[in-house]
Amino acid sequence: MGLINEIKNYSDKKNLSADKRSALDNFLENGFPTIKDEEWRYTSLKKTISGKYSINAVGRDVTKKEVEKHSLGLKHKIILVDGFLISKPEIKNISISAYSEFISNTNEALEKLNYSLAKNGYTISVHANTTIEEPIEILFFNTVENNFIQYRNIITVGDNSQVKFIEKIQNIDCDNVFVNSFTHINCESNSKLEFNKIQNNTPNSSLIDTVDVFQKKDSVSNINTLIFGGKFIRNNLNFEQNGTNAESNMNGISVLNKNQLADNHTFVDHKSPNCRSNEMYKGVYLEKSKGVFNGKIMVREDSQKIDAFQSNNTLLLSEDATINSKPQLEIYADDVKCSHGCTIGQLDKEALFYMRSRGIGKEEAQAILTYAFASEAINNITINKVAMLAKKLLINKLDVDLDHNI
Amino acid sequence: MSEKKQLSEDILLEEVTSAEYKYGFTTKIESDTIPKGLTEKVVRTISAKKNEPDWMLDYRLNAYNAWLKMDEPDWANVEYEKPNYQDVIYYSAPKQKPVLDSLDDLDPEMKKTFDKLGISIDEQNRLANVAVDIVMDSVSVATSFKKTLAEKGIIFCSISDAIKNHPKLVKKYLSSVVPVRDNFFSALNSAVFSDGSFCYIPKGVKCPMELSTYFRINEAGTGQFERTLLIADEGSQVSYLEGCTAPMRDENQLHAAVVELVALDNADIKYSTVQNWYPGDKNGKGGVFNFVTKRGICHKNAKISWTQVETGSAVTWKYPSCILKGDNSIGEFFSVAVTNNLQQADTGTKMIHLGKNTKSTIIAKGISAGKSNGNYRGLVSISKGATNSRNFSQCDSLLMGDKCGSHTFPYIEVRNKSSQVEHEATTSKVGEDQIFYCNQRGIGTEAAIALIVNGYCKDVLNQLPMEFAVEAQKLLEISLEGSVG
Repeated sequence: MGLINEIKNYSDKKNLSADKRSALDNFLENGFPTIKDEEWRYTSLKKTISGKYSINAVGRDVTKKEVEKHSLGLKHKIILVDGFLISKPEIKNISISAYSEFISNTNEALEKLNYSLAKNGYTISVHANTTIEEPIEILFFNTVENNFIQYRNIITVGDNSQVKFIEKIQNIDCDNVFVNSFTHINCESNSKLEFNKIQNNTPNSSLIDTVDVFQKKDSVSNINTLIFGGKFIRNNLNFEQNGTNAESNMNGISVLNKNQLADNHTFVDHKSPNCRSNEMYKGVYLEKSKGVFNGKIMVREDSQKIDAFQSNNTLLLSEDATINSKPQLEIYADDVKCSHGCTIGQLDKEALFYMRSRGIGKEEAQAILTYAFASEAINNITINKVAMLAKKLLINKLDVDLDHNI
Repeated sequence: MSEKKQLSEDILLEEVTSAEYKYGFTTKIESDTIPKGLTEKVVRTISAKKNEPDWMLDYRLNAYNAWLKMDEPDWANVEYEKPNYQDVIYYSAPKQKPVLDSLDDLDPEMKKTFDKLGISIDEQNRLANVAVDIVMDSVSVATSFKKTLAEKGIIFCSISDAIKNHPKLVKKYLSSVVPVRDNFFSALNSAVFSDGSFCYIPKGVKCPMELSTYFRINEAGTGQFERTLLIADEGSQVSYLEGCTAPMRDENQLHAAVVELVALDNADIKYSTVQNWYPGDKNGKGGVFNFVTKRGICHKNAKISWTQVETGSAVTWKYPSCILKGDNSIGEFFSVAVTNNLQQADTGTKMIHLGKNTKSTIIAKGISAGKSNGNYRGLVSISKGATNSRNFSQCDSLLMGDKCGSHTFPYIEVRNKSSQVEHEATTSKVGEDQIFYCNQRGIGTEAAIALIVNGYCKDVLNQLPMEFAVEAQKLLEISLEGSVG
């Protein structure tokens, strides 16, 4: 295996701390997960890790023009190039700094790898009682071809605070970059967080993105994942509710074509009573793309009065597209309302016929219906610019020209 | 004709009487076992004791060798101490139970259960193994059944007899649906199966009765490693019921059965199971491990319908599946799984769509009470060639008490764009308002729960043959007794 050897060589040259060394040894013992691993049964890393990579390599600076081209044009921008923080906004009551080491107690192989190799990322702390109206844009730029890079980020949202983020990873002058990102988010009491992930990188990019959210009482977190570009994407989104009346919401949209693969793993751990979770993932799969959805809801003993809803809807629009879906419920308390629904199908033939009989072309009619299908999830995004971008990307991906502006 | 009938009656009479007689000398029979453990020699001994032909011995040895290289699966969401496979006796003479002089000697708890299930006195005697004179009535019923089946050309016998008398059919279909190497337990079963049933329905024949009815009267203990092979030839139809609502107390802790169904073109098989093995006591001591592999294959336009009511066993590991190989074939799965006290169940189904226009329906209802854990684990796989296929799955769980758990693990794989799959699952408890409504109208809480549970399971119970539906309903009540409050 190419990458494993690179990692060994790289780590031998570095002087890792005892903790990092033991985490790395732990990872190397079993290596990257394979399809024999239950959590990876539909997603093979084999191709991704057989390539030749440099590790944590650093390239050039990015120009202002390039930043402008890839940003949503928001006021607050945090910019990282090859993982290094190079620019940050000055906002009252919020401290932003570069990577700082922290330990997470997960047992995931890729988290262990991330911990032992990471040197880059961001640290954001929103102080208590702060409301930041303007969303904050986080832009990661990669400039080195064939690079395997770790981001390790931590966000803390203080008591009674509110904040919105948009995170985007963009390759510039390079294509084959493999990112292993880990983000730890603490939502303190009565805080409110919206975190949008725009995954629309170059055609040969690979991404493993793990986000762990820890919520205290009365906190609300909304995580939206928008997947459009990239060859291999694996999202691990985990919520842990450690206080009553916490709410976790997640929306996901995947629109894939060619040989793209997107794997969404979500896990909500209801550890406290009177909490809620809502999950809506929509997938549109074209050409030879492959989708994986694994949504797990766990209700612990004594976590009574939990409402947990999950829905996963998929449109398979090509003969060669594949979807593997595994919605999972593990319930250990009795006074709960939990449900999951999963549908896989096609566009309604009658609706298509209705439009075509009124002079709308086949492709356009399909696009309109697909758009309507995805809108349900897009409409949950509160930042207008992000919602508009999602709509634009969706239309582009469907490869149609809709003359009216939706 | 009447002479023949008389003769067969005589034979049966003798069989039964001598069997009863034999039980008197229990020590003598017990000596007819082989030592503990599983070795090649044991497999050879089993085959020799059953006078099997060479091909059968080869089959068993092959399975044994495969089993040696396999590991016991541990992916199911159940916890138990793995049995020591070298501490099991793999062959013993028919199961023995102490013979009672009358029903009055029966464990009063057991008697109460029988009464509640509404099982007739005759049948109670038989189930409890009371030494009584032969009930003429049921013997004649049994023989007349035998005659009707024979007239239609239906073969229904033990698998050992089938190996002797119908080797061609057995050779062709045995392990054609569940390969020897399919899993750890199927390999084990193939190596050491003691006995089981064989059924063949010829072309175009509609089996004139529920094979269950026959089963209930003639069925003797089939032991630990049961093997069932059911073949429905083109255009035939059969309904088969396995098991019994009556509580089965069994000394064997490990049960690893294999059931194979073959539905040839246009055939229709309905296979119902009521399982009520000993679940262990309130502290989870004892109880049967039920590790079963059940699978059916549907050829063109064929249909297989599995219905199961699972209330017993300490640990259940069971996934009745359908391979929808032929175009337009249909697979169905209806299940009620009840767990109480410390029981654990990991059960569900697999629907593997290979043919065009194939349809499958899954209705799974889980009820967990006490400190038990119930799991639904299912797979719906639609392959590339299975165009225009359709699946509908619904798995609901009902929780009673705050110490129990209920889990769903559905796997859905779709590989073409013209198929449709729907899956929904809910978990909830019996509504307080529902119970209050019943209480208000003079229905006690326990009765109210029974009422609500029956309503909840109705979709599945309706699929059972009539007489069992009634018994299964009562069985649910009994299984959940004392779980309220």
